[in-house]
Amino acid sequence: MAISLTVNGSPLTLNVPGEKPLLWALREDANLVGTKFGCGIAMCGACTVHVNGEATRTCVLPCSAVAGKEVTTIEGITAKGLNAVQQAWIEMQVPQCGYCQSGFIMAVTALLDKNANPSDAEVEAAITNLCRCGTYPAMRKAIRRAIELMKGGAK
Amino acid sequence: MNAPSKKPKSSFRRKFLIGTAWVGGGLAVAASVGGALAWRRVSNAQKFMLPVDHAKGESSFNAWLKIAPDSTVTVAVPRQDMGQGIYTMLAMLVAEELDADWTKVKPEQAPLNPVYGNMTALVDGAPPAMKSMVGMVSKVLGLQATGGSTSTRDGWMPMRVAAASARAMLLAVAAQKWSVPASELTIEKSIVMHKKTGKRAPFGEFAKEAAALTPPANVSLKSQSEWKLLGTSPPRTDVVEKSTGNAQFGIDVRLDGMLYAAVKHIDLVQGELQAVRWKSGAAPKGVLHEVRGSDWFAVIGASYWSMQQALKDVELVGGGATAVMLSSSRLAEVYERVLDGQDGDLSPIAKPLRRTFAEKGNTLRMIAGTDVAKRVEAKYSVPFLAHATMEPMNCTARIRDGKVDVWVGNQAPTIVQWLAASAANVSGDNVTVHTPYLGGGFGRRSDMEVVRQALACAKVTGGKPVQVIWSREEDVKHDAYRPAVTCKMSAAFDEKGGVGAWYHAIVGPSVTKAFIKRLNPMLAGDDPPDKTNCEGAAEAPYRSAFANFQVDHAQVDLPIPMGYWRSVGHSFNAFFVESFVDEIANALNKDPYLFRLELLKDEPRFAKVLNAAASAAKWNTPLSPIAGGKVGRGIAVAESFKSIVAQVVDVEVIGKQIKLRRVVSAVDCGFALDPENVKAQISSAAIFGLTAALKGKITLKESQVEQNNFNDYGLLSLAEAPEFETVIVNSGDALGGIGEVGLPPVAPALANAIFAATRKRLREMPFVM
Ligand code: FES
Ligand code: FES
Repeated sequence: MAISLTVNGSPLTLNVPGEKPLLWALREDANLVGTKFGCGIAMCGACTVHVNGEATRTCVLPCSAVAGKEVTTIEGITAKGLNAVQQAWIEMQVPQCGYCQSGFIMAVTALLDKNANPSDAEVEAAITNLCRCGTYPAMRKAIRRAIELMKGGAK
Repeated sequence: MNAPSKKPKSSFRRKFLIGTAWVGGGLAVAASVGGALAWRRVSNAQKFMLPVDHAKGESSFNAWLKIAPDSTVTVAVPRQDMGQGIYTMLAMLVAEELDADWTKVKPEQAPLNPVYGNMTALVDGAPPAMKSMVGMVSKVLGLQATGGSTSTRDGWMPMRVAAASARAMLLAVAAQKWSVPASELTIEKSIVMHKKTGKRAPFGEFAKEAAALTPPANVSLKSQSEWKLLGTSPPRTDVVEKSTGNAQFGIDVRLDGMLYAAVKHIDLVQGELQAVRWKSGAAPKGVLHEVRGSDWFAVIGASYWSMQQALKDVELVGGGATAVMLSSSRLAEVYERVLDGQDGDLSPIAKPLRRTFAEKGNTLRMIAGTDVAKRVEAKYSVPFLAHATMEPMNCTARIRDGKVDVWVGNQAPTIVQWLAASAANVSGDNVTVHTPYLGGGFGRRSDMEVVRQALACAKVTGGKPVQVIWSREEDVKHDAYRPAVTCKMSAAFDEKGGVGAWYHAIVGPSVTKAFIKRLNPMLAGDDPPDKTNCEGAAEAPYRSAFANFQVDHAQVDLPIPMGYWRSVGHSFNAFFVESFVDEIANALNKDPYLFRLELLKDEPRFAKVLNAAASAAKWNTPLSPIAGGKVGRGIAVAESFKSIVAQVVDVEVIGKQIKLRRVVSAVDCGFALDPENVKAQISSAAIFGLTAALKGKITLKESQVEQNNFNDYGLLSLAEAPEFETVIVNSGDALGGIGEVGLPPVAPALANAIFAATRKRLREMPFVM
């Protein structure tokens, strides 16, 4: 099945079964491996990308559901230069093993795009990804820092 | 510093060794690596040169570092980075002695060579009786492994000596060129300078000639007061890659013509694969190869996802002699009987092996002779646990033209090489092990099951590389688990009302035996005592305060795959010891912090860390109350991997809900070489421990693991994580580990906090109100 969509700003046609999850199409067919496989059941968030700007877990998202949509992955964000969340992540030295981090950065970026000044409770309610290395303390600081950077005009 | 000369290398070597191995900086240098071992390793490091990239004009100085004309320093890191920041740490050791510009220091995975073997892991891990077994494995393998929080301690001497030696060689060339004495030269951020004449040049300009010199017979290392980098926290070398999606993990390896394999194990946690049945009669379209393993089955095709789909259509029949039926409920009964000293009717478990790991005075007699009213007794237990590394198990292998390449996030490349060589029937020289970043390790990636599978798959693909990936379900159901352990503790008060006797009886398997057996059944012969069973219990910090002290262990062999899990035996023994000491304090009506201090009067290092945690946590300041719930504060302290950590946990209990408010830690790891990373590792390990305390549980029903994925084997989330505060106590003692040490005290500190809040004592993990 040929499915056309936009990935990181460029048109892409995937020749995959419609039920193939977007995660695996990105990793196997589009050679975009920054988006990770962690659980396959929408529990961990390692596979988070933006679909039309919404943070979306792609391990359970069939390709047929993204036809005609705009998908942005961690590679797409990075290609435009580090965004505020990434800058804050680096400043606060968040990653340990690093495996979960693309998913977190995508989830936090989508949150801050919608709500530039979320409360701690709003952050905790929205960011339900999992990090086995327990980088949460540094993430909390980095999220606050990203909010500050955005107030200062960072993208 | 002696000037390097152009004497032939062989004549100086012996002198070099003797001269350098004992020259120390501000810390007790030879404490962690036996002197003789360090001595030998520096010698070997001089024989083996780190391979260079000729295109970049690099010059290799020894096994540990090379320098390019643009002054880029490449540091060979013979350990694996699973998030603990060891690439950064070991590169810092080299950068410090070289006074290199940190932005131009690049760590890279070291090639496989015996010179890098992890001696500290072996020395630390081996009780005298076990040395032969461990020694044999390590000798055969020249073990280049990461574990036991040993990496920094192990690299401490050889890597600094290697860098100091390169520094002397660089300065010798500069001195000759500028006709000035080498002793007048300094280096700052990779620039060599001569103050009197104002001459300056980046050291890369001298690298080629310097590397051709004979290394000096003696080098002195910087003293602690001269350090510029150590003791600070420069940016980690991997953080940008890991914040941009560019870091490559094993699962991200992409090769020309690469195929994917999906794996399914038999439903039983242990046993043999006896039959494979396709529900639709044959393998679905797209399956190019089928591979049958000992207890697993794999299908190979062009897409991992489609292979995973294909496996939904297969039924595996498992059984055989190694499949022993066991349920968690039965295991609990067996443990209970063993704990009560009854060794009959333990089926399907064999009679345990009973041993005493620590003994002082006559503990059993004193306890038996003390009135029940003057005794405290309690039983504790912990379940099996999975590691659940965020990156699922995977391995990519290619066997082509007598050469084998393996790409795998692993904690022991030497073992990978060994397995690959024997699987493909080639010599070790024909095997290349590529170690990308590890998406979590925690001990999981020292187990080699997935490597065997990838090699078996690579044998049938006609030279094409194949990437084996496990689903999360396979990972949860077929881990090498942290074992379930039970214990009984007893204390008897003496006439003065103090603790006169402490008795700790533990029931559990030997993880080391299970690990070695999985690696190679041939190596698991007899049953030497496994130090990890009783670590943290046999040397409980309070033992000096008790006239009678005994720790016994009943070793039961379990028909379940088991392996090392972050902090190993400390992960449960600290829970036992630190909960029980709290129970004694309560029985004596004493403040749990002050009672510990009392017991630690002859252990000043422990007392200092305990005090640091209590004062940072404002132990005596009441917690702010919450509506509809109770609040409490608990404390615990434990030594593991030669570091001491004390933690104070503040908790809120609302009905059945346990909410973590704050964890304050104090840590003495000798000296915090990278304080920010020390703090990050402490909170990381504490969150790992809190996850176990609140959520972790693997249970068996008829030898099948009942959990599946993160839905029923949960991890702590951002919302559930407490606030953290960590204070560092730089005692100047020998360096201790840091990757695991924040874990042991956190669960008992939480249990103690819950008790303080509710008067309910939780003796079983995970905690349920
Ligand atoms: S892999 Fe998609 S949520 Fe875990
Ligand atoms: S950094 Fe390792 S899982 Fe989050």
